[in-house]
Amino acid sequence: MSKQLHRIAPLVLLLLGAAALWGSWSLGVGELSAPGPGLWPFIVSLVLTATALLLLFIDEPDDYEAWNRNALRIAGGLLSLAVFIVLFEAIGFVIPAVLMLLFWLRLFAKEPWRLAVPLAIGGALLFYLLFEVALAVPFPDGILFAGTGR
Amino acid sequence: MGILEGIGTGFSVALDPTNLLYVFLGVLIGTVIGVLPGLGPTATIALLLPLTYEIEPVTAVILLAGIYYGSMYGGTITSVLLQLPGEAASVVTTFDGYQMAKQGRAGPALGIAAIGSWIGGTVSVIGLTLLAPPLADLAVEFGAPEYVALTALGILLVTYLGTRHPVKSLCMAALGLLLATMGQDLITGTTRFTFGQISLFDGLDFVAVAMGLFGVGEILYNVEQTEKAQAVKSKIKNIWPTKADFRASGWPIARGSVMGFFIGVLPGGGGVISSLASYATEKRVAKDPTRFGKGAIEGVAGPETANNASSTSAFIPLLTLGIPANVVLALIFGALLVQGITPGPQLISQEPEIFWGVIASMYIGNLMLLALNIPLVGFFVQLLRVRAGILAAFALLVTMAGVFSVNNDPFDMWVVLIFGIVGWLMKKTGFEPGPLVLAFVLGSILETNFRRAMLTSGGEFSIFFTRPMSGTLFALMALVIIISTVAGIRRRRQRSRPATPGEEDLAATGTTAEPEGTPGAENTDGTATDEASAQSDSGVGRDRS
Repeated sequence: MSKQLHRIAPLVLLLLGAAALWGSWSLGVGELSAPGPGLWPFIVSLVLTATALLLLFIDEPDDYEAWNRNALRIAGGLLSLAVFIVLFEAIGFVIPAVLMLLFWLRLFAKEPWRLAVPLAIGGALLFYLLFEVALAVPFPDGILFAGTGR
Repeated sequence: MGILEGIGTGFSVALDPTNLLYVFLGVLIGTVIGVLPGLGPTATIALLLPLTYEIEPVTAVILLAGIYYGSMYGGTITSVLLQLPGEAASVVTTFDGYQMAKQGRAGPALGIAAIGSWIGGTVSVIGLTLLAPPLADLAVEFGAPEYVALTALGILLVTYLGTRHPVKSLCMAALGLLLATMGQDLITGTTRFTFGQISLFDGLDFVAVAMGLFGVGEILYNVEQTEKAQAVKSKIKNIWPTKADFRASGWPIARGSVMGFFIGVLPGGGGVISSLASYATEKRVAKDPTRFGKGAIEGVAGPETANNASSTSAFIPLLTLGIPANVVLALIFGALLVQGITPGPQLISQEPEIFWGVIASMYIGNLMLLALNIPLVGFFVQLLRVRAGILAAFALLVTMAGVFSVNNDPFDMWVVLIFGIVGWLMKKTGFEPGPLVLAFVLGSILETNFRRAMLTSGGEFSIFFTRPMSGTLFALMALVIIISTVAGIRRRRQRSRPATPGEEDLAATGTTAEPEGTPGAENTDGTATDEASAQSDSGVGRDRS
């Protein structure tokens, strides 16, 4: 069974291609002399579906990397980014940025706390100054610094 | 406008203090990220895309171009000192460069690489200056069918030449074209694949897609691969090569310049392939090929010259035809589109200061690189102490803040995150993000011209084949597909696959051609994929026979 696992990727693409075929067909492909909005997506989806179908059979399993503990850490890192975006919208830039940097510096760089904490706080403030103050990017109002009135 | 007059305009643009500063920043950033193994030129350019909104179009391209050719210099440093290519085009330099370093000749290796790069870069800029205007004149005649043919050929060649698995890349290119159709249809106004999301009405933002796939995706992948920082042991002295070194390197540099220039012009070409081709050639013409791999200076001089020459000449198809030759150029293309400028045959006449300004900045940038590299190698080496994890943390924060700054819309942050996940999964499953982004950038041009051609021909597909230019291009495409299909079937039979020029030589040493613009560290850090080792087995077998 595990020998067939690598076929998941082409299978996902195949399903996507099929869905896109159906989607573009329902947009209306029109005539060749008067192409509808769906014609081009339909042609492209055909290529996608055909190549995915081909890959389902010919793709080499060697090409796929093993999933290990590292991959799990990356998944954790991704989750931290999602949390960052949610917090960013709610409470502004600085605190989520400190937290995210701290998380990454501890988890991936394995920095000791005495280095990670100042790096995270310093980095977050630096980027805050760079984006919000120097480049005038209107970040959502923070609970730490009030919005700069834009 | 004549060439001399154009160059005059160009230098007046490039010597403007702001632009001068950005050339310097570009080549400096390029060198730095070339040194840092976790970040390649594509990821860096993707991360810096939001910044290009803040500056003039010409300044933006000057900056991004500087990063690209600057990274070609920087990648050499780690290849020579640590056998760790900072970016993919410097992989071949590890063969002889690292051996030279072990023999205590790291200095001359770096010196000749910098000098060769400078010569290659300059020769290539001169070629660009002379060749681009007539090519653009030719292309002004192109109609919709020619554009369809040219764009499709560009995508096809990039998927076939620059990548490891043509079918997988083609599949990704199709996905890229499909993603490009999201949003409002420009001709009929129908919304396509928006799923009722208002944020999707204008389609997916190119910057967010590129930042996700290249920035976040590549950072995540590299964090997973690279574990610890490296320390440099070899001492660097006598950077200026001796007379004997110069004599040995003269012809390789000359050949590398010319070869690099022409390979760079081809779609799918660029630093990676040209450095491989140059190494293969030098080995073939050498009186004593056994010296290669044991510290032959020709094996450093040729490829380093070629990769720099081609990273410059790769701008020719972009600036004259509007076709990006590889992924890095696709990002620069996207940056220009974002600014409301469509690169193409009209660029020279409509935006002469962009065209000539960028070219002139390359003369200056290459000179700056030579000046930076020879005295500052020791400083750049210190950068290797930065750990990949720290780099990743800060790069991700810049990405998130940067993409928000483009439209001030948190939605784009989610797009980056989703495409980051997709990019990381693609890397893990052997699909390459390059063709996807290239196709995504070219998607709307391809669609518009396709529909225009269909309308003018009254729905006859023959319009693509009966016009001489587009007919030739389509014949060429058919040829590429047939050849690669035959080669693919053969390969499946005997499991050895010389798909790109020079790949045989690479396979013999256990490496595979990385896509353009990626950090090249993956294949030498002991976690080489099964495929690479399988290839090296077959390669060694071939060498003996």
